[in-house]
Amino acid sequence: MGGLQKKKYESGSATNYISRNKARKKLSLSLADFRRLCILKGIYPHEPKHKKKVNKGSTAPRTFYLLKDIRFLLHEPIVGKFREYKIFVRKLRKAYGKAEWSGVQRMKENKPAYKLDHIVKERYPTFIDAVRDVDDALSMCFLFSTFARTGKCHVQTIQLCRRLSIEWMNYIIASRSLRKVFLSIKGIYYQADVLGQTITWIMPYQFAHDHPTDVDYRVMATFTELYTTLLGFVNFRLYQTLNLVYPPKLDGQGEFSLKSEFEEDYALESESYTEKLSALSASLARTVPSVEDEEAQLDHFPAEGEDLEKMEARERTELEQNKQKKLFEGLKFFLNREVPRESLAFVIRCFGGQVSWDKSLCIGSTYDETDETITHHIVDRPTIDKQYINRYYIQPQWVYDCVNGKILLPVEEYFLGVTLPPHLSPFVEESEGDYVPPEKLKLLALQRGQKPQEEEEEEEEEDEDDEEEDDQSEDEDEAEDEANLAEMEEKRAQGKSLSVKVTPGKVKPENRMRTEQEEKAEEKRLAIMMMKKREKYLYDKIMFGKKRHVREANKLAAKRKAHDDANKADKKKKKKKC
Amino acid sequence: MAAVRRNKRVAAAQPGFLPFKSSLDDNSSAKRRKRVNKNKKKSWNKFSDIQDVEEFLDDVRLQERATGGLISEKADDSLFFVDTGETDVKDTQAQKTVKKGKPSKPLRIDLILQPDSHIPAPKNVLAFQQPNAKKQRRTSARAAKLAAMGVLPRREKLLQLRSAAAASGVPVKEHPEANNNPDRAFYDLWSAGTPETADPYYLEQTKKKLVKRPDRLNEKPSVLPAIEVIAPGGSYNPDFFSHQDLLREAHEVEVKKQKAEEKLARQLAVNEEKATEESIFKEQVQGLIEEEEIEPQEPEGDTEDTVMGPTATQEKKTERQRKKEKAERIKDLRRKVERQMIDKQQQLFQLRSISASVKKLEQRTKRRQAQRKAQQEAQKSMPRRLGRLKFQTPDLDVQLSDELASSLRSLKPEGSILKDRFKSLQKRNIIEPRERAKFNRKYKLKYSEKRAFREIE
Repeated sequence: MGGLQKKKYESGSATNYISRNKARKKLSLSLADFRRLCILKGIYPHEPKHKKKVNKGSTAPRTFYLLKDIRFLLHEPIVGKFREYKIFVRKLRKAYGKAEWSGVQRMKENKPAYKLDHIVKERYPTFIDAVRDVDDALSMCFLFSTFARTGKCHVQTIQLCRRLSIEWMNYIIASRSLRKVFLSIKGIYYQADVLGQTITWIMPYQFAHDHPTDVDYRVMATFTELYTTLLGFVNFRLYQTLNLVYPPKLDGQGEFSLKSEFEEDYALESESYTEKLSALSASLARTVPSVEDEEAQLDHFPAEGEDLEKMEARERTELEQNKQKKLFEGLKFFLNREVPRESLAFVIRCFGGQVSWDKSLCIGSTYDETDETITHHIVDRPTIDKQYINRYYIQPQWVYDCVNGKILLPVEEYFLGVTLPPHLSPFVEESEGDYVPPEKLKLLALQRGQKPQEEEEEEEEEDEDDEEEDDQSEDEDEAEDEANLAEMEEKRAQGKSLSVKVTPGKVKPENRMRTEQEEKAEEKRLAIMMMKKREKYLYDKIMFGKKRHVREANKLAAKRKAHDDANKADKKKKKKKC
Repeated sequence: MAAVRRNKRVAAAQPGFLPFKSSLDDNSSAKRRKRVNKNKKKSWNKFSDIQDVEEFLDDVRLQERATGGLISEKADDSLFFVDTGETDVKDTQAQKTVKKGKPSKPLRIDLILQPDSHIPAPKNVLAFQQPNAKKQRRTSARAAKLAAMGVLPRREKLLQLRSAAAASGVPVKEHPEANNNPDRAFYDLWSAGTPETADPYYLEQTKKKLVKRPDRLNEKPSVLPAIEVIAPGGSYNPDFFSHQDLLREAHEVEVKKQKAEEKLARQLAVNEEKATEESIFKEQVQGLIEEEEIEPQEPEGDTEDTVMGPTATQEKKTERQRKKEKAERIKDLRRKVERQMIDKQQQLFQLRSISASVKKLEQRTKRRQAQRKAQQEAQKSMPRRLGRLKFQTPDLDVQLSDELASSLRSLKPEGSILKDRFKSLQKRNIIEPRERAKFNRKYKLKYSEKRAFREIE
């Protein structure tokens, strides 16, 4: 046997990985700088398959990077900048120590800075890549823009984040691409459809900050640094696609209408323009004057069979979306001062509504409370003193529920002081056979265009003070609901059981449709009969699973009914006591 | 120098030379000559008599100092004048007029400081010399030549450029812009731009072209979405059942945690028996009562005998025994082979069962393969172990039924989005989980009362 003896850990996975400390030394950076570099360049630690081999026999838990990744980092020009910055800090400290103030001044002027443009380009080679990954960037920017300027991070970063998030919101308004909103206990989730990409982001409620101590702010600031750069470039490109001016400018008409006498009371001269932009109440200027109501016609391709079905489905969704985009068109909203202004203004404007608020609340209000043409007044307090007759006084949840339901919901359930229906999450998509809360069922029915009759009754009864009648109507309500439910469940059950049950066919020659259906059912039955044993077994299993699902859903529905009944009973008792 | 000296000597040797000092001539030939070997330089120096020359030169120098030259060489007019016995009236008058205007007498200190020698002080050569003069002369000459040709030095060129830029109104960007400048400008990053025409090799070598990012790096380390939307029970005004679902989930997490804690506590608990009255009494009387049972007498001598070295005395096998054993071995082997043959033959009749078992095995491998694949898929969305610490799932954000807000206005947000984002990054394997560095004090704190404070007390 010739050749040299092989040594341990000189080939294979041990040479493919490098520990963090070694990588740091190889780049001759401090740990903080190394971390920053990895975040900016998108180099993530890697868990090796055989840790002991990689760790040269030791089992100590360590952070590993792929050696090739670190080699790639060696070429990064920013590494040099980091070193330069380190030297700058050292010199500055020395100058401070020697009290050389002119030197300090000069050094501060020549503070080394670096650009992340090339990194963004490198990490997101195409624009669509960037748009796909913008979720994180948005959430981070919206979060940082709400930070107090207390030194947790640079004030400039906060300002930049604010600017970028305003630009984004203005783009969403201009493109009308918002799809879903969800008010959660954490913050507000939004979902938009931008250039065919579904983008979700979370916006914190205003003034909801406690600063957690177990979060590394330096790391988060580094992410924000990258994300602000990314979002800026994405915004620029998005504005271009809509022929909007970037940086955003209010169009002439909007600018005029927003001029108020007490502008300087709101903000400084330098800030008032961004403040006006952030008011979200006026539209933006375009580079090419747009034609109103331009609707892109869907292309029609000759198609057959499945393609046809698909195309029809696509057309349907397109139509639906177009309808949704104009949800609030023609409506005029007024926000009372206790509602979350920014979120509501954003949502309403995204669907074509007009919105205003009290002048003293924020800059950029377009009309007063006394305006007679206001259709909806959004209030979040139990009662209001002065009410105008020709407008609805509703709670803010109505706006969000309308957006999620894609229709204008009846306003009665959202009047002042009324107990609101639950705010359902639009991010849940029930598959067939799942339990669907009755509120959602109602919504679905409304979407289908069935107008429940009790609506009118309720409207009448709103004015009446008689409690018993109210109760009765509610009972009727319930009864009808139940009926609906039962019907639907029956339908569903039938849909499933058709395949299993063997019913003796009746001859009904006059009904063509019926015979066709029966034929189909017969075919299916025969197919089941002809199944192989194994397939049959599988089939039975699937059917059983479905049935169980339905059973569970039914159980939940029954439970809900019981719960509602109990609630009602309680209410009745209370009323009687009163 | 030598020439000058020679001149002087020649002058002195001339018959018309007047020595300044009269003693110069007297002791010229008084001494006798001494005989010394003159084959060495040292003896030359020592014994050659140069007194006369020295004296003569001293005199020359004195003359020069005092009168500004050799007296013998001076013109007669400067040495003598014809005394006619009358003073110059004009001269005295002029002096008087000067006196009237100003006291012209110089200060005594100035007079002292006046040089009394008529020979000007020698120039300081170093004061007039320039270091590198030659080189400078040459460079300046070259610059002049270049300037005549129209080529300016770099420094001046830059200066001119800058002044031109300032004049045209284009601001010269001198300071690099910070990355988080809120007014920073953006541009179309993804536009095609002009294609690079330069030599790629040149660009690579001068580091103008960045290294291509490997595609592997653009893959995400986890399949989890960036934003995980909270369960429907997390709505500010949730549906009853979804809220209950969420609560149950949170409850289960909490129960699991508690169980783990309890288990730990159980394992760590010290198993100590409590002292009962009986045990206390026993302790108190221990040693007072004689206990006979606890004294088993062990025969020690016997044990020692048994522990001896192993007695390995094996008898040798006889030939017969060996033969017998060998025959048995062979028989055994033959029997085994026969058995195998029979088994193999029997397998022909067991084909069905064998095929069944093979099928079973195959099924098992298939099942295991599927399982492994499923596990791998599941692993993709799991947080990996990237460092010293494991990823800790954050607590579920939940509002209890009585904490739920009745309206949007009274909503109290739960949890922190910042923490949520941070944890999400960890969960997606983008950063490794870490804990806050603990502050370790190197030296203990010492407390002392301030003097002022004590005084007030």
